[in-house]
Amino acid sequence: MNSVIIVMIEDDEGHSRLIERNLRRAGVHNQIVAQTNGGDALRYLLGPDGSGEVSSGRHLLILLDLNLPDMTGIDILSKIKSNKHLNRAPVVILTTTDDSREIQRCYDLGANVYITKPVNYEGFANAIRQLGLFLTIVQVPESA
Amino acid sequence: MRGMNVPLLADLLPPTSATLPRAQLPLFAGFTLLIVTGVASIWLAAAGHQETALVTHTLAVKAGTERVLTLAQDAETGQRGFLLTGEERYLAPYRDGQGHVLEAIADVERLTTDNPHQQAELASLRGLVTAKLAELSRTIAARRASGDPAAAIAMVRTGRGQALMEQIRASIARIEAEEESLLRVREADADRFGIVLLAVSLGGLVIALSLGIASFNATRRYTRQLMDKQTELSAINENLETIVARRTADLVQSNDEIQRYAYIVSHDLRAPLVNIMGFTSELDSTRETIAAELQENPRAPAILADYDEAISFIKAAVTKMERLIGAILTISREGRRTFRPEPLDMTRLITDQADAQRHQAAASGLEVTVDALPHLVADRLAVEQIFGNLIDNAIKYQAPDRIGRIHIAGETVGSRVRYQVRDNGRGIAQSDFTRIFELFRRAGPQDRPGDGIGLAHVNTLVRNMGGNIEVSSKLGEGTVFMVTLPKTPPPPARPTPRSEAA
Repeated sequence: MNSVIIVMIEDDEGHSRLIERNLRRAGVHNQIVAQTNGGDALRYLLGPDGSGEVSSGRHLLILLDLNLPDMTGIDILSKIKSNKHLNRAPVVILTTTDDSREIQRCYDLGANVYITKPVNYEGFANAIRQLGLFLTIVQVPESA
Repeated sequence: MRGMNVPLLADLLPPTSATLPRAQLPLFAGFTLLIVTGVASIWLAAAGHQETALVTHTLAVKAGTERVLTLAQDAETGQRGFLLTGEERYLAPYRDGQGHVLEAIADVERLTTDNPHQQAELASLRGLVTAKLAELSRTIAARRASGDPAAAIAMVRTGRGQALMEQIRASIARIEAEEESLLRVREADADRFGIVLLAVSLGGLVIALSLGIASFNATRRYTRQLMDKQTELSAINENLETIVARRTADLVQSNDEIQRYAYIVSHDLRAPLVNIMGFTSELDSTRETIAAELQENPRAPAILADYDEAISFIKAAVTKMERLIGAILTISREGRRTFRPEPLDMTRLITDQADAQRHQAAASGLEVTVDALPHLVADRLAVEQIFGNLIDNAIKYQAPDRIGRIHIAGETVGSRVRYQVRDNGRGIAQSDFTRIFELFRRAGPQDRPGDGIGLAHVNTLVRNMGGNIEVSSKLGEGTVFMVTLPKTPPPPARPTPRSEAA
């Protein structure tokens, strides 16, 4: 698990920080790469050429927010899941939307986990800590 | 679409009975004239008939006088024959004339009773004829007596008989002349009547003809006006339908936009709220560190008190904001929810609802009564939310000084049903009747928990179901909420309702 890089795609830097803090409190010590917009996130994941070869051999776990300023998380999700180097990387959707159609769509596109951010902070912190506990035991495959 | 020139309804209606006479006034006058002409013609024809009768009468008088003359001459002829021959058979014309001539005079007298002039003439004629008959009778008697015609002929030769006969002829000529002149006057009168009658009849014909043409034109004009108006009306009707359809579409669209807007706004407001809440909690968790650092400082308790107060205000505000955003989200989601109408036993549904809230009711000694209610085809969840909210409000806002009573009644009004939720609670001021249905607005003393969401939610639901909600209340006496809903749901305004999967 130590070599696993957590890629956090989240436009709200406050949320980003809160998520990171709570993950750390849950005992997650992995490297966390925060991306605040879709374009940067895709460049990181797929490389400048967009082929995804850059991620070959990486162990990636992606935390994805659906509401991004430049594109929707759905676009990013479908790009990840249709890329042969990235499609095995677990994707955790972490968003405020609890629209049932949205949830279905994400799973249809290959999302591994869908978590709605609780509105109150207690719930939020709790959910992230539980996610962190889950992440410490999950097996992440090496990207092809 | 605004400011479109929509003709007034009055312009579209065909001319009414009030405007008709003015348009038809010439026609009306024409018909009156025609009737006058008709009456005049009949009168003139009757008068003409009378004139004709008078002419006939004159001719009868003339024929009568001719007969008198003929009979008188017959009598004389018979006398002459007898005087010459002494044979009785020559006396036949005499007897005939003598027997009938006075009768004939009487006939003429009867015909001319209205003419004193002729009566006088006839009287003198009668005298002359009588004298003539006497002379004739004398000569005949003389011939019979002597057997010799000479004496009788001598009597004739005196010329007296001839003179009488001439006087008779003259008298008859005068009578005839008088009648002739009368006849001429009468014929002239009859001719004049004829001409006037002809003129009047012709006039009538002309008027009738003009009337016919005028009526035809008026009818045609009126019909054309009617048809024009009808065309205009149907065009406007179509236009109206288009306008209504377009406005409905606009409304549905703007409603959709509002719902979407509310959804996005509430959604996006939540993100910063999580940060405020999160970092406030983070800050709070550093309190112990700060407290430890300030241990030596004498102002530590004051600083920490301020710190705690600030944190608690932030947390309270955020909690409240969270609730409000949640409410907007709920209402916007409610607006997007597709109703699933089903037949509802309303008496049962509301009784169950009241029972569910009875634990609360029992605690405050509240009485809830439910009448037999008209049934309804509607979305169960929505109906439960509507009446749940209303009953909840009735329970929540009881008057403190009396036992609460809630009564739910219902009636069918045409194709709609109206339910009433009546309470004897503290009531609502009339100035607040509109306000209470607005989001986040509340009325009366703010001594009960709540965010001003319930009735706004109810209002949205009722309206989305095609119904309406009204309130009537008296402060301190109680409140009645009237919910009117269609018996069966109206067809959806949008052809493809936005469906949200369960």
